[in-house]
Amino acid sequence: MIALNVRRTGVVALRVIRQLKRDRRTIGLITFAPIVLMTLFGYALSGEMSGVTLGMVDGGGHDLLRSYLEGIKDFEIVYLGSESDAELLISDGRLNGAVVMKPGEVRVLLDATSLQISGAILARAEAGAQQEAASREKDQGNLIVTRYIFGYDLEMMDTVGPAILGLVVFFFTFINAAISFVRERSQGTLEKFMVSPLSRVEIVSGYVLGFSFFTLLQSATTLLVVTHGFGVPMRGSPLTALAVVLLLGAGALVLGSFFSNFARSEFQVVQFIPLIITPQIVLCGVWWPLQSIPEFIRPISYLLPLTYASDALRAVMLKGASIPDILFPDLLALGIFFLVFFAAATLMLRREVD
Amino acid sequence: MASRGRDPVVSARGLVKDFGRLRALDQLTVDIPRGATYGLVGPNGSGKTTFIRAIVGLLKLDKGELNVLSRPVSRVQEIYSRIGYMTQHKALYPDLTLQENLEFFAGLYGIDKQERERRISELLEMVNLAEHRQRLAGTLSGGMYQRLSLACTLIHEPELLLLDEPTVGVDPRLRQTFWDYFERLTSEGKTVIITTHLMDEAEKCRIVGYMRAGRMTAAGSPEEIKRHAGLKPYLQLWLRDPKKDASLLRARGYEVDMAKGAAARIRLESHDQIKDVLDAVSPLDMRLKEPTLEEAFLKLSEGA
Repeated sequence: MIALNVRRTGVVALRVIRQLKRDRRTIGLITFAPIVLMTLFGYALSGEMSGVTLGMVDGGGHDLLRSYLEGIKDFEIVYLGSESDAELLISDGRLNGAVVMKPGEVRVLLDATSLQISGAILARAEAGAQQEAASREKDQGNLIVTRYIFGYDLEMMDTVGPAILGLVVFFFTFINAAISFVRERSQGTLEKFMVSPLSRVEIVSGYVLGFSFFTLLQSATTLLVVTHGFGVPMRGSPLTALAVVLLLGAGALVLGSFFSNFARSEFQVVQFIPLIITPQIVLCGVWWPLQSIPEFIRPISYLLPLTYASDALRAVMLKGASIPDILFPDLLALGIFFLVFFAAATLMLRREVD
Repeated sequence: MASRGRDPVVSARGLVKDFGRLRALDQLTVDIPRGATYGLVGPNGSGKTTFIRAIVGLLKLDKGELNVLSRPVSRVQEIYSRIGYMTQHKALYPDLTLQENLEFFAGLYGIDKQERERRISELLEMVNLAEHRQRLAGTLSGGMYQRLSLACTLIHEPELLLLDEPTVGVDPRLRQTFWDYFERLTSEGKTVIITTHLMDEAEKCRIVGYMRAGRMTAAGSPEEIKRHAGLKPYLQLWLRDPKKDASLLRARGYEVDMAKGAAARIRLESHDQIKDVLDAVSPLDMRLKEPTLEEAFLKLSEGA
């Protein structure tokens, strides 16, 4: 029989409360993390979009549709001369989609690597065309033709799969690196390193190299599951995808190493998850496109490595992009992120401890 | 090869280190000569570990001048390959084998493979762990872990060894092996600085420095310290007729302390007086007690 002594249980509860009361970081986390997360999720899920760049080729016959689309404040309209111009700009990723209007026909060109954005463009074009048809005395009807420049056969998993690959690697590398550094500190080996010819740059570089081996193994496995298990296409070279993931992993490692300075135990490392990992998931533009993230939060998205890694991985896997295609801004941003936090992590490994 | 200059291996002048309102080092001044086993002793919180950490450059001093192996401490990182530092933490990787731990630390100092193997075998033999070479360090007992930690500290044959309580949890027989090894190192011109709580260990040091409240209150050989404290040997005598015998001894000028049970205690100025005492009385039993370091330190602490 299970006996429950209320007094003893109370003693345990009191001790837990006392300990937590003295752990200001946990109190802060319990109070503020939900506010931050709910705000982020709330905005991301609000369904509003802004900054969608839509090409428009006006071949005449659809004045109402044209003014309807021009009236949507979330869309930034770029006027183009021909459908082939629109195709080219969508291929380059400079347009999210385009509407080509000819008398009796509306062609909607889409990049379905982001299903939410292509869905929004199509929905607006259809709504505009319906309004136009209703206003005519005699319903002549509009023929809407949808053309996917990318991803005509894509499903949700295809568009998020590449980003999941990045997320998995980022998450595990960050946590493992932070825990490893906390352990080096708590077991005293870091202090021993400090009194050896090993330099701080060598310590962090050694970690990056050592972890890269496992990042590679982890990425290869995840890549296989994503492509073979879930049928996400791999139109570019798997080696290019692995290169992106390695660079992201290196960034996650130095970030983990940097943040380990603010944790005294593995428990405190886990507390970084809602603060460091979750915002990346919400703001990286995978589950919700960057265009649906409010403009005042969007600059944060552009500071997060997962934003660039997801973009690059989607380009490689879904559009067949090669290294030169993703060099700017994705690889450059990931490279800068790595270098900045490499320097920060190295500087934080102080030899003199007070 | 250890350099054998005349400079002290560690020279500290007026070191001050504050942790908030706590003064951990208070005008600490000391010279530690080359080739000595130097024992740093003192109560908890007296500043021993702080001093060791300052020597290896892990602490920024608030004041004072500190030279290590003839270099200012601000440049101590240039000579880390000549220093071995064993922390109070066990500072090992529990998920690596003993061999892998030693290989790793040897690697940090760029020791080549053949030399590395020689040293690993020698050190594992010394710390009596040779048969556990392939065992995971995490499965070792506390004392074994401590022995491995010492082996890792010695792997690059440093000329200055700083050991923060290295014999905690080590059994007396093995502790003696450690001390024999330290003797061997100092005979090769190396210096061993060791913090300890154990007075029998401190007795083995060539020089002992007694720290209290961040200061060095006494330093010298164990004999010098005892002399400095004004301690002398005494005889413990079980007298046949305590009253009569005591007055006989007092008549010869001895101070007889009868407080401790049946045995009388007589302070001696020198060992030559034993014969004189025995001429005066013939006790049932007697014991000669030399003053201990602990008594000397207690006496010095009272006076400080």
